[in-house]
Amino acid sequence: MEPSFEIFDHTADAGLRIRAATPAGLLRPAAEGLYAIIGELVPADRWSRKTFEFEGSDASILLRDYLAELLLTFERDGRIASADDVTGFDDRRLNVTVRLAPVDPKRTVYHHEVKAITYHELAIRTIPGGYEATVIVDI
Amino acid sequence: MADNYTGPLERLDANRWRIPKSYKPGMNVDGIIYADEDILAAVKQDKSPEQVANVACLPGIVKASLAMPDIHWGYGFCIGGVAATDPKKGGVISPGGVGYDINCGVRLLRTNIPLKRAEKHMERLVEQLFTTVPCGVGRGGVVKFSKKELKRLMTEGAPYVVAKGFGWDSDVAATEAGGRIPDAEPDLLSERALERGHDQCGTLGSGNHFLEVQVVEHIDDPRAAQAMGLEQGHLTVMIHSGSRGLGYQVCEDALKRLHDVPGKYGIDLPDKQLVCAPVESPEGRHYLGAMRAAANFAWCNRQIMTHLAREAFFEVFGQSAEELGMSLVYDVAHNIAKMEPYEVEGRTCELCVHRKGATRAFPPGHPELPERYRAIGQPVLVPGDMGRSSYVLVGRDGSMEHTFGSSCHGAGRRMSRGAAIRASKGRSIRQELLDRGVIARARGRTGLEEEQPDAYKDVISVVNVLHAAGISHKVAKLRPLGVIKG
Repeated sequence: MEPSFEIFDHTADAGLRIRAATPAGLLRPAAEGLYAIIGELVPADRWSRKTFEFEGSDASILLRDYLAELLLTFERDGRIASADDVTGFDDRRLNVTVRLAPVDPKRTVYHHEVKAITYHELAIRTIPGGYEATVIVDI
Repeated sequence: MADNYTGPLERLDANRWRIPKSYKPGMNVDGIIYADEDILAAVKQDKSPEQVANVACLPGIVKASLAMPDIHWGYGFCIGGVAATDPKKGGVISPGGVGYDINCGVRLLRTNIPLKRAEKHMERLVEQLFTTVPCGVGRGGVVKFSKKELKRLMTEGAPYVVAKGFGWDSDVAATEAGGRIPDAEPDLLSERALERGHDQCGTLGSGNHFLEVQVVEHIDDPRAAQAMGLEQGHLTVMIHSGSRGLGYQVCEDALKRLHDVPGKYGIDLPDKQLVCAPVESPEGRHYLGAMRAAANFAWCNRQIMTHLAREAFFEVFGQSAEELGMSLVYDVAHNIAKMEPYEVEGRTCELCVHRKGATRAFPPGHPELPERYRAIGQPVLVPGDMGRSSYVLVGRDGSMEHTFGSSCHGAGRRMSRGAAIRASKGRSIRQELLDRGVIARARGRTGLEEEQPDAYKDVISVVNVLHAAGISHKVAKLRPLGVIKG
């Protein structure tokens, strides 16, 4: 299954449906989906690397935490990320190294300010051929 | 469209519908929804009545779980929800009853500028406001506060930024709670919240936030309008924004912190998004302290934008804001929880009143009102959509009797963002607004489409329900002339 995301309507907000062959494979399209809601974000060509580690008791909440971290990184530092190396993702921990780049303001178009990654309808479920995650984003 | 809610809704009178507490196990009180028949038919299509019933299960809830006529689906609590809990009876505080955008609210400035004088300047005025007031994704404010300053700002509220030159002393008097809730604890905010907020004070944001230039089109209550300085045919300025990233982060941190807390206190919730803590518990006090700090930040945010709007008017009209009579009519929060005294079963109780998408609406004579509004009641500001109208109301006695001093906060969406974009295909919303006499500027590519007038219910139907119910009365109708959005 090719990793993918789709944005669906959710009253005043927006939903993300993410699919991949493995749980770890969800991370990259999840970030791409979040950025697609924010706008057409073009990275400047100055990449760096950073590792994020999360602990918890539910993989869907760890995915949410990861997206919340990316939202903060975008809002605070003006940087966007792409999951590069996922060394662990289960119900208890998420360990991911991302490539980070600043957004090129001259080539970027914004659509929405995302307030938060919510817990509403948050889920990761198995589907034929892989996994599907649902995340609702508060706009 | 099929109804999502099929449970009981018993008619109490022309404007109220009851979900009896027998509807589901765990309900401590009835649910009561303010609506006419048309609004109710729409309400049943989403899950918001179920959310009203769920809120009725909260420990210590008093009298009823209430919803205003602009009710629609939200996270945990519905939007338009009002719930008061009694801390002495195990009453809880729930971040879901406040929302992500803590102290999102509205303020209204009056002017002595007649429409006739303004018409030829309107395009330039909208452009000047668009340039002067930071809006949209990634736009920092004109003022950057250090963490130390930010904490002081969150402790002292609007008076802090007024003392720094962003406004007038009279603005503070015309702001709910004087622009400062006491007992704010900015030291409880996470580093992330401070980081998100450090350059956002004095910024509009995006989504449904806006700054609008309006004209007073019609006056229903001349006495109240006079007390507010509203004159038919004169311009007003309405600002709708909240606590920005700082407030969103406070909510997010609280949801995480309180995740396991209901279990600790033996609280059984029908929906995990109603996560809560007893008001008098350490966890409850922690959220209240942080929430109050974010609320004070939001009042500073709207205060700085007020200053910037006045500067824009000066640039265009060549007269000072004082000469243009740009005083603040009022500023109200519509996402907040506050401790307020109410009579319950013959005794005065200090209740924790959650208002999520609901506006405080104190009646005439309430001691918390500024002197000039003591005789008429508290101004209630109800934005509509950018093509039709907004309303100024005043609180009436019924609000204290029935709704814990609360009224509605807006029109409520009738289309999702995606549906609104699809409905805009082949149209120019900007031109359509222009044809209605509204000049609109937005930073986001799809902002105008998503926020187009058809995406919202007509606010008049919402306002009329509460007027008829004796909760808040109509004072003036405001018609939009120019709007800026993120």
